[in-house]
Amino acid sequence: MTRVENVKERKPSPLSRFMPDEMAKRDGAGAERTYVGEVVESSTTELIAEARELHGGPSFGEFIRIEADLPVLGIIFNVFTHSIEPNRRPTAYGKTEEELRLEQPQIFELLRTEFQALIIGYLDGGAPVQILPPQPARIHSFVHLCTDEEVRAFTGNDDYLRRILNTSKVPTDELLIAVLRHTLRAHEHSRDYLVRMGKELSRLMGDDYDRLSSVIRRVAN
Amino acid sequence: MAKSKGDGATAKTRGEAIGVITKGSLVEGLEMKLDSAQNVEDMKAGKFVVIEGDKNDFFSMVTDMRLDAKNQEVLLHPPGREDDILRKVLAGTSTYNIVSLRPMLMMPKGAVDDDGPRPVKAIPSHFSEVQEAMEHDVAKIFGKEGDPEGRYFSIGNPLDMDTQVCLDMIRFAERSNGIFGKTGTGKSFLTRLALCGLIHYDKAVNLIFDMHNEYGFKAMKENGSSSTFVKGLKQLFGERVAIFSLDPQSTRARGVQADHEVYISYDQITVEDIAPLQDELRLNPTAVESAYLVYAIYKERWLRTLLALEGPDVEEFAREIGAHAGSLVALHRKLKRLENFPFMVSKVTDGDVVDRIMEYLDKGINVVLEFGQQTSMLCYLLVANIIARRIHEMYVKKSERFYATQRTEDQPRQLMITIEEAHKFLNPTAAKQTIFGTIAREMRKYYVSLLVVDQRPSSIDDEVLSQIGTRITALLNDEKDIQAVLTGVSGTEGLRSVLASLDSKQQALILGHAVPMPVVVKTRDYDTQFYKDMGCLDDLPEAERKAKIDKGTVALYGDN
Repeated sequence: MTRVENVKERKPSPLSRFMPDEMAKRDGAGAERTYVGEVVESSTTELIAEARELHGGPSFGEFIRIEADLPVLGIIFNVFTHSIEPNRRPTAYGKTEEELRLEQPQIFELLRTEFQALIIGYLDGGAPVQILPPQPARIHSFVHLCTDEEVRAFTGNDDYLRRILNTSKVPTDELLIAVLRHTLRAHEHSRDYLVRMGKELSRLMGDDYDRLSSVIRRVAN
Repeated sequence: MAKSKGDGATAKTRGEAIGVITKGSLVEGLEMKLDSAQNVEDMKAGKFVVIEGDKNDFFSMVTDMRLDAKNQEVLLHPPGREDDILRKVLAGTSTYNIVSLRPMLMMPKGAVDDDGPRPVKAIPSHFSEVQEAMEHDVAKIFGKEGDPEGRYFSIGNPLDMDTQVCLDMIRFAERSNGIFGKTGTGKSFLTRLALCGLIHYDKAVNLIFDMHNEYGFKAMKENGSSSTFVKGLKQLFGERVAIFSLDPQSTRARGVQADHEVYISYDQITVEDIAPLQDELRLNPTAVESAYLVYAIYKERWLRTLLALEGPDVEEFAREIGAHAGSLVALHRKLKRLENFPFMVSKVTDGDVVDRIMEYLDKGINVVLEFGQQTSMLCYLLVANIIARRIHEMYVKKSERFYATQRTEDQPRQLMITIEEAHKFLNPTAAKQTIFGTIAREMRKYYVSLLVVDQRPSSIDDEVLSQIGTRITALLNDEKDIQAVLTGVSGTEGLRSVLASLDSKQQALILGHAVPMPVVVKTRDYDTQFYKDMGCLDDLPEAERKAKIDKGTVALYGDN
């Protein structure tokens, strides 16, 4: 019983820096909800967006919502930072970031952070639909982080797990763990929820008991 | 659920869903996947559940459970003790529990009350929900005590439930019945319960051969170190029970006055009464033949004549009557043992005891025949045989008269004869010779049936066992005994495990004629509440008791 509650209390977890505090800042009442990125490449199954700030992309496994008539929902499966110029790579200077910012602030203008999201569904009149959207998100639409409430609504049933397990490009298990940790937080670390999702995973993973036990263990930690 | 009267009540009183049916067959029984929220430890063998099919409700009994896993990997690397969440995740998915159910009865949904449960001829479809049975389910099947006919007598509660399981006393009385169980499992209590039911509801008059003096007056209740006493039939039913004693001294020593003392004269013993004693007396077949020779000449005085002889005269006597000297000497020697019984007299003074018993039985008074200290098997066999044979003869005559006249007043009362250590009377050899074998086989034709109490049912003749209507069985371990108890019952595979897993106290499996389906019960407490239910006034508070007596007096003599 104590295990999940422990999860809650154990602050210096690997992802905690990217989770509750950051979230609180973003979801804080009264704070203007700002976008985290802008779509630059879009398809039915996934999209790429540029982060508003350098190194300011959402975390791996987070839920995002792309503003539109039918807001599209996705989960982050890849965040990367690279040079604006495809043919020019940043050079190593042997200095800390702070030193560099003082001495050569311009080089940071030549970099940008982008993130890739797996599309998992959309909102139809506010109600979550766990089906790929009829139309992809439009280029230049803004990307917002989902609130806990939205995450809860979307992950109330377990269909999203199947979508994650069925993607081939990404390290599925890692993504699964990250997503489950985010949803678990949205569900207030409910142990029952974790058990329910675990049971669904057990069904989806079929005979792969090793994989299941590793995922469950890492989510619960 | 269907729309019928009382439906509102039915719908909301259904028990908790405990699983779904996944596979099975009519012949082999059904399998249920236990809901992962349920604990497999709550599923006890013998538990009573209802399968809710599309058109019928199936009343079923839990017969077996199994732990199962989807793949071997889980079993090879089980989650650690502290890995609580993983255990929970696996429960019901990779690792699951299968519970075997045996459907016993089915009832169309929304059937009106008189359209009772029927034997199972169908099975529910896939994924039909299984629920815990509720009180009204049990009542629908087993009836409820207190019906106007006095048909139902509560014998206990189903496992883990607080409701009555009733025996249909009319059906119970009309066939021979058996009460089985290892020693110390409560056979005597079960028997006493059944007898109380028969007497209280007046469904049969009883003749009880009480070998261990347990039924008439007080009996000891074993509960671990301390022993207490419980009331006997005489205390509960007063005038409606008469105690006959073979050993009046012993009866008096226990503080009871027998209603009648039993003496048997030599002339009342026939060769047929001796024949079943072959085992006990170690007689060989020629000895019995010699006895017939003596009987041929001296008729009913045969035994008196034989026993009057002394040692050397016997051989001469044998020559006279043309019997084999050796065997007649052996017969004489062995029958001499009978002379030691205090109840054997050369002439009975106050009338034939069997006539007296018959008189009581005719009046509807139940007779308990106590053996006092005469507990030898020889004595029990001899006396029970002599009396039962004569009673049976009289009943045959009475029934024949009734068949001739067809007048209801000539109809004999249903008689139930209780015998203990029944395998002595009913083993394959004895069953052919004793009257009890005949009674068990002829059954209700002559209004006489048996209540067989025994701890070794496997020794009872198969032919007799198969005629036993209702079996009330406490714990049995021996495979042969279990086999024997289930002889002549269909669909017994599941019951075997149930029978072997009963508690050793206060639990019994009831199956057969008097119950619509086999059921495991926690037997009713034999306590003050029970005495009260049986109409015994002794333990009531003074005022209440007085009120009751007054009421009885008014009913009898009018109000003045």
